[in-house]
Amino acid sequence: MFLPLRSLLKREYLRWVRAPTWIIAGLLTPILYLLLFGQAFNLGKLVPPDPRAQAGLSAALLGAPNYFSYFAVGMVGMVAVTSALFAGTGVIFDKQLGILQRTIATPVRRSTIFASSLIFRGLLVVLPIFIVLGLALAFAQIPGLAGLTVTQNLGAVGLIEVLVAIFVLAIAFTSLFLAFGFLFARVESYFAVVNLLNLPILFTSNALYPYGTSPTWLQNITAYNPISLAVNVMRENFFGGAYYPHPAYVYLGGLVLWAAALGVMALLLASRALRTK
Amino acid sequence: MNSSDAIQTENLVKTFPGGVEAVRDVSLSVREGEIYGFLGPNGAGKTTTVSMLTTLLRPTRGRASVAGLDVVEHPREVRQEIGLVFQDSTADGELTGRENMELSGGLFGMTPAECRPRIAELLKRMDLVDAADRRVKGYSGGMKRRLELAVAMVHTPKILFLDEPTIGLDPQGRAGFWRYIQQLRQEQRVTIFMTTHYLDEVENLCDRIAIIDHGQIIATGTNDSLKERVGGDVVELRVPANAADISATLTSVPGVGEVSRDGTLYHVRCPRAEGVVSLLVRACDASGVAVEGVSVERPSLDRVFLALTGKAYREEGYDDGRASQASVFRGRGRGGR
Repeated sequence: MFLPLRSLLKREYLRWVRAPTWIIAGLLTPILYLLLFGQAFNLGKLVPPDPRAQAGLSAALLGAPNYFSYFAVGMVGMVAVTSALFAGTGVIFDKQLGILQRTIATPVRRSTIFASSLIFRGLLVVLPIFIVLGLALAFAQIPGLAGLTVTQNLGAVGLIEVLVAIFVLAIAFTSLFLAFGFLFARVESYFAVVNLLNLPILFTSNALYPYGTSPTWLQNITAYNPISLAVNVMRENFFGGAYYPHPAYVYLGGLVLWAAALGVMALLLASRALRTK
Repeated sequence: MNSSDAIQTENLVKTFPGGVEAVRDVSLSVREGEIYGFLGPNGAGKTTTVSMLTTLLRPTRGRASVAGLDVVEHPREVRQEIGLVFQDSTADGELTGRENMELSGGLFGMTPAECRPRIAELLKRMDLVDAADRRVKGYSGGMKRRLELAVAMVHTPKILFLDEPTIGLDPQGRAGFWRYIQQLRQEQRVTIFMTTHYLDEVENLCDRIAIIDHGQIIATGTNDSLKERVGGDVVELRVPANAADISATLTSVPGVGEVSRDGTLYHVRCPRAEGVVSLLVRACDASGVAVEGVSVERPSLDRVFLALTGKAYREEGYDDGRASQASVFRGRGRGGR
């Protein structure tokens, strides 16, 4: 069990470190998002500088001290989706090249094949998330740049909630896109569906802007979007829970349910693709 | 069932969704240590049979056991005992030859320490030592094929399945590959089951042969026994045009079947030409007929195929195309979604 998993993970790792474009472009994307969108979309500038108006903005941003702080946390959700987009491509290429066939002709367990993809692709989602958070926090220390300002004292429980939210969010989206990798035989079909889902997933969340003004039906969808749930856990811990109807762990529970459902779906599609016909 | 059989199948059938009967009824047995050739034109059911034997496809009906284990009841145990070389290279081009072999060892549960000496030995045997630490995408076609063999042998399988292993290689590359196969069989004591649509391949390499056509085995036996079915060898004796008729004398030579004369040529049919040729020449001398030339024509498997099926081997969808050989994952059963 351990030796086969280690071998499969090592192969994934070698393929990754030998594709510098993949690494550099993958890590550069979130950094560019932060620098361009984060610095450009400064909603705070649209609001008059008097204290009452600014307090109104903070309320609209659900307690975040400025738009960048609000946006930077939302970027975690955005990066989770955009990094996970590629999770299923490896499986499709392995199918086309016969590598998957060779692998299932060995005694390795089907669940191990699935686990190796989920673990490695999940790590490729978590890595840029931490880069985004680290950079956003660093920006706050640089004069003239907008940065992520954490106004609350997280404490151990808060920190754990934030970390768990990040990992569970990564599992949820990695599972979703991995499932499509096991389902489809062609990259074209895969990206057609991924492209269809990508922006709706992002824009039905509260990652990039507050949804207080949107119609009720959309607000209902937003409330259950896995990105919203993860982002709520983080924002409540970073900026306080005054504007949230539920404590952070409720959102975290919802996120765990999403990840479990998507994980089971991916596992079922994987075992269907890997079974003897 | 014979306990020393490496592979045994009984009335194996595979019908694909949609009703395509790829394998209709295949019963065969492969003895331990032999090279068994599975010969047939493209689309005859060779790959489907191999896929069932290697647990990649589930038989619709019938039974198959590999290394004494039932392929349906004990697929994981069967996989542990076999090595596979597919039609197409399945090594990861981004990894080196050595890394591909280490990956395979790991998948079979070998520790890196167990893999190391085995990999070093196989790299040497396959003449891949110099290329071992280069990425496989830069390998030549012949090197890739040898690496496939090496990868398949890392876990010391009892039985090696080769599915059209020399497709796409030039004649030298194929001859070279046969040498490696023979070397492996001698040194590693492995049973080899290979499919091919090249007649010369089975003639030169295989101890026993099964010929499959339209999903059914139409003949099995050794190379020689199959050829005997179509009348064995033909010895041609060239004599002067004015020589006396010695047909009766030649017919009386032991081991000789039919004799016919065609101008200056006598066609002498015999199951095996060895030993008979010198007797024939002596018989001619004794009758005062000078032999000007002798040639022996061995029947080819082409002729065997023609005799068994009524059609020439090469007419039957003979091409070199890989595209028509659907693998388990591509195409077959589910259109490319």
